[in-house]
Amino acid sequence: MRNKEGAWFYFFISPWLAGFALLTLGPILFSIYMSFTDWDLFQTPHFIGFDNYQQLLTEDPIFWKSVFNTFYYALIAVPLGMAISLWIAYYLNKKLKGITFFRVLFYLPSVVPVVASSLLFIHLFAPSAGLINKTLQVFGIIGPAWLLDANWVKPALIIMSLWGVGGGIVLLLAGMKGIPAEFYEAAAIDGASSKQAFFRITFPMLTPVIFFNLVTGIIGALQTFAQVFIVTEGGPDNASQMIVPYLFQNAFRFYKMGYASSIAWVLFIIILALTLVVFRSSALWVHYEEGKNA
Amino acid sequence: MSKMALSEKLTSYTVLLAVGILLGAPFLYMISIALASDATTVQSAFTFLPGEWVWENFIKVFTNNNLGLYLKNSLIITSWTIVGSVFSASFVAYGFARLKAPGSGVLFLVLLSTMMIPGEITMIPQFILFRKLGWVNTFYPLIVPSFFAGAFNVFLIRQFVMAIPRSLDEAAKIDGMGHLGIYSKIILPMTYPILAAIAIFSFSWNWGNFMGPLIYINDSAKMPLALGVQLISTVSGGQMPPWNIVMVASLFLTIPMILIYLIGQRFVYEANISGGSSAIK
Repeated sequence: MRNKEGAWFYFFISPWLAGFALLTLGPILFSIYMSFTDWDLFQTPHFIGFDNYQQLLTEDPIFWKSVFNTFYYALIAVPLGMAISLWIAYYLNKKLKGITFFRVLFYLPSVVPVVASSLLFIHLFAPSAGLINKTLQVFGIIGPAWLLDANWVKPALIIMSLWGVGGGIVLLLAGMKGIPAEFYEAAAIDGASSKQAFFRITFPMLTPVIFFNLVTGIIGALQTFAQVFIVTEGGPDNASQMIVPYLFQNAFRFYKMGYASSIAWVLFIIILALTLVVFRSSALWVHYEEGKNA
Repeated sequence: MSKMALSEKLTSYTVLLAVGILLGAPFLYMISIALASDATTVQSAFTFLPGEWVWENFIKVFTNNNLGLYLKNSLIITSWTIVGSVFSASFVAYGFARLKAPGSGVLFLVLLSTMMIPGEITMIPQFILFRKLGWVNTFYPLIVPSFFAGAFNVFLIRQFVMAIPRSLDEAAKIDGMGHLGIYSKIILPMTYPILAAIAIFSFSWNWGNFMGPLIYINDSAKMPLALGVQLISTVSGGQMPPWNIVMVASLFLTIPMILIYLIGQRFVYEANISGGSSAIK
């Protein structure tokens, strides 16, 4: 009986097990091996030890630039987006007429495929004819050349990411719904203003959701690809080059499979390290209800 | 909640309206460019609100730019990935939720830990594998992996199945049903809300997926819409891309996502709140 159940277990999980072996574990091992070779997809690979990693970390200024740009982007766009989504969620949580309309409208940009939003933002950021600079002009401001200016291209990508802030609002609103009304009633009796109630009740109660959004957001931002590939192609002068587009370029344009594999592993370490830092910091600011300590 | 003060209402609406304009404006600009004439496009003289109404653009994109073909390819790819991810994940989830075997606990931990591996690591070896199989410029590399049960989907369905009382399984067993019968006749119908949610996730991810097709598809006749749109926007020889047509194609790429969200949010919401409770009924 027991054995039969075991056989059924393996029968049912066989699709995942096969996929794990062929598409995950096998590729992981192969990727480790490749990162120690000079394979270019066509000639026989040579084992070159740590040469790829050494070149990457000590002799490749573009890689370091792309690491810096990726951090710049992820560490500004994600917290900024979360602050703004929290601020908007505060208003979206009010019982007002037509609030559903605003909830839907604010969420819509986050469902736009990144290819479509990238192509659209090329126009929004156009130096003289673009909507953003034309609007700035109305207020007498001469806007920068955005995507063509090495100093402004990263802020431009961050602004573009903010169009999708609505994506994080759904979880925040759900979290706000879960806060017991008695908390606010008690605060009101004690004479707390609505601002005080927000910072003393709403925000601490939402920190687990914010933490979740922060971790998933940073992991996602570190893997930014399509925006850079379509909007800036890493330019100008690699000012917007990021890790994954650089990896893609090495693998599928230059066919430096070994070198690209070593980039993938460095990226993995970076993601792991940054996630650990955020997890470690969570003890300082994430509030869990008593008895629910995770 | 107590009645809101007028001033609070006023600030709230001001903030909501301001944010609404900022987030809504890019959509209007998109539509405005999509409806612009070729002359306006060449000069990049686009206006914020549509100044022209060149509806022919919406026909031209089919006749001159293969949009119909891209749409068809996208539909084929996304349909298969939805079928693949829903069925394979629910099948595997049944195993993890209901059956025990030596090593089953460890394997579940392995499944969970695979979620931490970034796709960039497996991407290159997978490309090499699929290239060896002669799958470059076919839909297979985009479809076949979804038939091997995604870890996240398995996890979601497993949590859902765990909440279904085992007494139902036992009753079916007494009636002479085997595991395949219990899975297909009892569990599968009851997990329908979470399966609908997974179908929606799968659609959203695959419909807009850019990197996968970019790696595997060079032949424009095989391209899904997300890649096709980008192809229209890259004209060689220093010419201006037909931006009005590009935006029409972008709208065709975007509208299904909006529709799926409007139709699907109910399912996703239900999947979240009814996690176990409605499954008991």
